[in-house]
Amino acid sequence: MKKPAKSDKHKQPRSLGIKPGKVTIHKLPSGVRGLDEILGGGIPEFSFNIIAGTPGCGKTTLAHQIVFANATVNKPALYFTVLGEPGIKMLRHQQQYSFFDEDKLVRAVRFINLSEIALEQDLSAVLAEITKHVTADNPSVVVVDSFRTVIRKAIASAKEMDTQLFIQRLAQFLTCWEATTFLVGEYSPEEIRDNPVFTVADGLFWLSQLTERNSVVRKLQVMKLRGQASVPGLHTFRINDGGLQAFSRTMGLGGMKSNLSHARRRLSVGIPELDKMMNGGLLEGDSLLVAGPSGTGKSALATQFIAEGLRRGEAAIMALFEERPQGYMERAASLGLHFKKPQDQGKLELLYLRPLDLSVDEITQEILDAVKKVGAKRLVIDSLVGFEMALAPGFREDFRESLYRMIVALTGAGVTILTTVEVEDNFTALQFSHYAISFLTDDIIRLRYVEIDGQLRKVMVVIKMRGGNHSKDIREYVITDKGVVVIQPRRTDYNGLVTGIPTRTGPRMTQDEEAAPEPKATT
Amino acid sequence: MRNFACCLITLETKTGNLSKTRATPAFPVPEKLRPVLSMLVGNGGFRTLLARALTLATVEIPWLRAVKVNADGSLEGWEELHAQLGPEKFLEGRVVLLAQLLGLLVAFIGEKLTVRLVSEVWPKLSLRDLNLDQGEKNEKASKIG
Repeated sequence: MKKPAKSDKHKQPRSLGIKPGKVTIHKLPSGVRGLDEILGGGIPEFSFNIIAGTPGCGKTTLAHQIVFANATVNKPALYFTVLGEPGIKMLRHQQQYSFFDEDKLVRAVRFINLSEIALEQDLSAVLAEITKHVTADNPSVVVVDSFRTVIRKAIASAKEMDTQLFIQRLAQFLTCWEATTFLVGEYSPEEIRDNPVFTVADGLFWLSQLTERNSVVRKLQVMKLRGQASVPGLHTFRINDGGLQAFSRTMGLGGMKSNLSHARRRLSVGIPELDKMMNGGLLEGDSLLVAGPSGTGKSALATQFIAEGLRRGEAAIMALFEERPQGYMERAASLGLHFKKPQDQGKLELLYLRPLDLSVDEITQEILDAVKKVGAKRLVIDSLVGFEMALAPGFREDFRESLYRMIVALTGAGVTILTTVEVEDNFTALQFSHYAISFLTDDIIRLRYVEIDGQLRKVMVVIKMRGGNHSKDIREYVITDKGVVVIQPRRTDYNGLVTGIPTRTGPRMTQDEEAAPEPKATT
Repeated sequence: MRNFACCLITLETKTGNLSKTRATPAFPVPEKLRPVLSMLVGNGGFRTLLARALTLATVEIPWLRAVKVNADGSLEGWEELHAQLGPEKFLEGRVVLLAQLLGLLVAFIGEKLTVRLVSEVWPKLSLRDLNLDQGEKNEKASKIG
């Protein structure tokens, strides 16, 4: 065998270096906020997809959003309607959504009615009609709505092979014509098995709506998507004036970059003595839980935390679930903390999130949007009880999990979070919260009432700080016109302060010399 | 809506006069609208819309009873009526029928989309002069008057 010449050797591909390139699957935007992230970047180009689900769950609206997001005059979208919602009613309803662009109608988005062909002729006639239009218009997107009605007749007449052949030919034809296809149909989960269309499909988007007590919860699942990794699981979605909005289980947090430096700063919470108790303040990017019963000053403390940040030029968000923003602002003003100016300057946003039936992902999305909008460094969630109450019952099960994902992502991005939670003082134990969410937080401050000298006074204690040492003192505090003020430790000795009913361990030596921190009632 | 209908009929008459190569039907506007609307709502859908418009128009123009909507969505009987009626009366009937058809479309899909579909057939239609609201008011005023 002839040895290759030296010059030939150079022509051979090197073992290291250029490899034959993989095909790049381009992705089409879905036009649905949050969905592209769930899909792993968008809809794979030239894919053959099914949008399935029960009646009224938003299949047609999703198809329209995809169509209007991608159709152009040069690469139009063809929307074949078959026996489902008549085209004229579809236009009547879909134009109500903000994504509907009437300028695209006819030139870029073409509706073609196949009802009569589907009713009067067979599947081959339907295929011929679709082929005719696709060949003439060279579309980028093709929708058949409802696809199920197209093949219903064939199924009813027990021509299963006809149906399979039709689906196979349709998929092959549309893919070869470089069209991204969506077959819209009403299916129940039991029908997935043994249905040829699900086997042929590259993508299967399943929409559902579940009724939980009086609430309806909409969910989306990407059951199948060939060629790219989608986010698994059920994702909440909502239909509003803008059409569908999906809330990924990852909450779009993958793209949030950490602003944290290696050496994290200590942030003042706006209460000097509490800062000392926390070894100089709260660590930047920490999540702090302030737990205590009603009236112990949780919201006041949260307000001071935000005000201190604003003083230092750190933008902030307050997510309020119990009190309206106006009331919150007025109460802050009574503590000498004025929020109107930072609000006007775009440094502070007060979100009032009280409507019922929200999903935890929607609330989280609103908070995230606000955090991104103002570039927030501090976030207050006041309170967890209100947060949970704002959710539809069906979402409450996911509360802890979603909260955990949000907190981890936000703190990872350098946002410092203060969350309040109401707990009852039961005078036997020091409970942190009903939610068993301590694992969510880096730091916990517990506020509680104690009975001392015939008064119901307030004490606080730093329970934990992941970032290092902290004071173990139980400190008494008062709420004045300056907000929460930690007062000097009294020189009295008590045991059992955490039970709420302490006992004196020493003589009442200093009581006469030291005034009570708050005046006693006089009769 | 009558203004809109008049505009279309006038436009189509001009086009018809210019193209002398083949005979135009007595009422070509619905004929020209048929492919666009049939594609959207199907032949059956278009036929139903036109039949409804004809029924509504007959209340005002009784002689329109002589017109029939065929299975394919075409109109039958215009040629005979054209010969029997004077040009003004004949024009009025066509305007009323077309106004009813456009009115139905507007009721279902709104003005913007109706104009959008119609302008696909008549791209030279000047939308600037086409004030549907004004037309509606004129229509009501003329009825009251």
